[in-house]
Amino acid sequence: MATQAPTAGPPERHLAGSRSRRSRETAIGRFFLAAALVSIAITAFIVLTVAEQAVEFLLAIDPGQLVADGWFPRRGMFDIATLVIGTLVVTVIAMVIAGPIGLLSAIYLAEYASPRVRGVVKPVLEVLAGIPSVVLGFFALTFINPTIIQALVPGAKGFNFAAAAVAVGVLTIPLIASVSEDAMRAVPAPLREASYGLGARRVTTATRVVVPAAISGIVAAMVLGISRAIGETMVVAIAAGASGGSLRSLDPFEPGQTMTAAMASLATGSDQVVGDNAAFQSLFFVGLLLFAMTLLLNVIGDTFVRRVRQSY
Amino acid sequence: MTLAHPRRIAAIILGATFAVAACGGSATPEPSGVPGPGVPDIEIPTGVSGSLSVSGSSTVEPISAAVAEFLAESNPDFSYAVEGPGTGDGFARFCAGETDISDASRAIRAAEAQICADNGIEFAELRIAYDGLSVLTSVDNDAIACLSFADIYALVGPESQGFGSWADAATIASELGSQTTLPDADLTITGPGEESGTFDSFVELVIAPIAEERGQDETTRPDYTSSANDNVIVEGITGSPTSFGWVGLAFAEENADVVKEIAISAEPNGECVEPSAGTVSDGSYPISRPLFIYVNTAKAAENPAVAAYVDFYLAEGTIAAVLERVPYVNLPAEELEATRTAWEAR
Amino acid sequence: MTIPSVTSVAVQRSLARQGRDWPGLVFALLLLGAMLLTLVILVILIVDQLTRGLPVFQERGVDFLTSGLSSDPAKAGVAQGIVGSLVIGLLVAILCFPLGILTAVYLEEYAGDNWITRFISINIRNLAGVPSIVYGLLGLTVFVALFGILGFPNNGRNILAGALTLTALILPIVIITSAEALRSVPLSLREGGYGAGATRWQVVRQLVLPAARPGILTGTILALARALGETAPLLLAGAVLGTFSTSGSVQDVLTGPYTVLPMTVYDWSRRPQDEFRELTSAAIIVLLVLTLFFNALAIFLRNRYQKQW
Repeated sequence: MATQAPTAGPPERHLAGSRSRRSRETAIGRFFLAAALVSIAITAFIVLTVAEQAVEFLLAIDPGQLVADGWFPRRGMFDIATLVIGTLVVTVIAMVIAGPIGLLSAIYLAEYASPRVRGVVKPVLEVLAGIPSVVLGFFALTFINPTIIQALVPGAKGFNFAAAAVAVGVLTIPLIASVSEDAMRAVPAPLREASYGLGARRVTTATRVVVPAAISGIVAAMVLGISRAIGETMVVAIAAGASGGSLRSLDPFEPGQTMTAAMASLATGSDQVVGDNAAFQSLFFVGLLLFAMTLLLNVIGDTFVRRVRQSY
Repeated sequence: MTLAHPRRIAAIILGATFAVAACGGSATPEPSGVPGPGVPDIEIPTGVSGSLSVSGSSTVEPISAAVAEFLAESNPDFSYAVEGPGTGDGFARFCAGETDISDASRAIRAAEAQICADNGIEFAELRIAYDGLSVLTSVDNDAIACLSFADIYALVGPESQGFGSWADAATIASELGSQTTLPDADLTITGPGEESGTFDSFVELVIAPIAEERGQDETTRPDYTSSANDNVIVEGITGSPTSFGWVGLAFAEENADVVKEIAISAEPNGECVEPSAGTVSDGSYPISRPLFIYVNTAKAAENPAVAAYVDFYLAEGTIAAVLERVPYVNLPAEELEATRTAWEAR
Repeated sequence: MTIPSVTSVAVQRSLARQGRDWPGLVFALLLLGAMLLTLVILVILIVDQLTRGLPVFQERGVDFLTSGLSSDPAKAGVAQGIVGSLVIGLLVAILCFPLGILTAVYLEEYAGDNWITRFISINIRNLAGVPSIVYGLLGLTVFVALFGILGFPNNGRNILAGALTLTALILPIVIITSAEALRSVPLSLREGGYGAGATRWQVVRQLVLPAARPGILTGTILALARALGETAPLLLAGAVLGTFSTSGSVQDVLTGPYTVLPMTVYDWSRRPQDEFRELTSAAIIVLLVLTLFFNALAIFLRNRYQKQW
């Protein structure tokens, strides 16, 4: 976060003024550092508390319980693959929707739209980004599922992954659109001008010049979108149904659970909020996995973003 | 400073928040002026103050919540919280001393009572109503009108994991003596999960006796869509023409137009009884269970709100008034009297 | 960066083309379609919820906004949700904004380019991507437990713990957006200040922060709007899923059971009675008004204060 360019700063020591002025400045500086360290403290707390309970969980159960027919925590069946597959199904469907729509919207905003259109569309995207996930979950349950999913796939159940995944995709569109658009706008004008100067059409410039130039930022946008989709809880909790437990299955038109929804259902069931039984502790185990997954994805995404910055 | 200056906006927002919080904070459920259909024609005590926390069964939750609301309407100093995470979870909190009263749709288990004892929690077990368990299928399912416990065991018992069709259960059903024809149709099951007292009651009344005889685990098969959300269960039932599921009678009655309640006979090939408030009340419907509240006697002694609440709960007419709104079944008069005696004797 | 040769081939080909530019037209339509789809989804969502929820307001009017939670759908209202959301928003603003802005100031103005700074930056970026429900775990095991140990009523499940949890959640976002706002202030402004002999703190306080104020304000308001819409972390941090009523004193509001609007929406969406479906939509309308108000405020402020350096 500190800028790479030369920073301004107070001049040499002999110009820095009286001792009291200097010591006050140092004190203020240390105060700011203390504030910054709070963020480290938060991470430390998260990792420590979650890891502690997760480890207790792993020690308490028999490793064989981690592979079972499904995730039924209160029966001692902790098939983690069920939840991971559930998360994957929802994420893939969500990205299939959000990736193209988000990217195409971004290209439109960056390359085609007049300032007036941008002035209308950008706020719309921001409003969409601001919609709470419970609202989208309820919308998925009461509208997306009956009107879209069940119309296309008559055998689909009243609660299923597909409806939730579509809503998660809708939630993710603004994120992908805005990060991709930022990446494309960061492409220097001369690159575009050269392309137009040679007589290329807008579509050629957009797809052959700007998008490849901005590809790191676009990949970062996709990675961030995946991370968001993985972390989405309430939409799946409301619209995908199975809260007591679910069988391992790839069928998106059946009810099911993702990692986040499983955590939410353990939380609302709140089986022994201050207890140490395995069903409740599995909550922390899943949480730790989730934390690790999104951490990994964010590191990958950040690497791409930094590559964009260094190109210019 | 224009109106849009950031500082002014912040000040306006802050002021508005304080104003709303100050006057909105006294948000006890406001009666809408005229006594609506929900306000009972019974005497509500006044002068009750203190706070109360109730947790446990989502089946009993509507009853406890309604009683609390009635009481709060006449007692502004009475505050409460009623939640419904599930019978088992409610007991866990209760025996950890976190709640004053635990709602339950089954009796407390020995293991749970032991935890309470270990933590020095003494309680009074008070039976307050009856509820039936409805076994459901789709309204389009004409093939099934009546099932016996044997059939149900064969369909959802511990030995039935992997059965995808009703006909798969035919072997076990006939082993148990049933002659019901189980069609060769998709068997999609939706029901409550293990956090729910409804699940426990179902297992205890229907599955466990047969499971014990056959030396099996006293539980259901795990491969069904389990949810604490009754909407999910009802949706699951309506989603397939040959579905199977079970919910509390009250919730089934709420959705009677979209689900079909199956008549049940306890014995194989026995007399089939339709579930209804009447058949639960006279005991002819075989899947019915009592509903309880468990009260922490120590907290009742030191917190006047708890004692006043339970007194009001058990007072003449209170439960009956609530049950006009929520279709559970009233206790016969002698049993209610017995509950009162148990409470007085705590 | 050189334009790959496949591009120059494409440019040549497009120059040599005769007739109408069909692929270009199709592509432009595709883009327009994608964008309109987004707009349409938003409109459908709002219209759908309005049609389902408005009848409640027609029948009950303001009573819906002033009634508390109830198991009887005819009497249930969002008053406690609204109060809870506003109080938690206020608490989060008080706790999070100073801390976040101070951290951003440190990272942008004071920190040297050393490993500590890089470590803090990486850490903050990662925290911003952590799913909100994981913050709920933090809230449960640290904040709720803390209040419980300190002997607070209701086993520590109070709005203070919820506010602390949400603060932790949006702190990284506030830091990142504030830092960006600070970074966009041109160097020349700072150099002028130092040239006049000001200390670092004087430059920051009197030159940089005022210049970055619009950007910081926009970022913090958007973060607050996000916090107001969150449900998952509060599930674990103790919000009530059920009904409750308090005496209304400030002490009860701060230390007693609480709920927030999105939690009310979640609770009602799970109830079996049909009437609760339309109540859920009505509550969603109120929630959308609240969050969209803050979003609109942020957008308005940003447009108003857009400066060209």
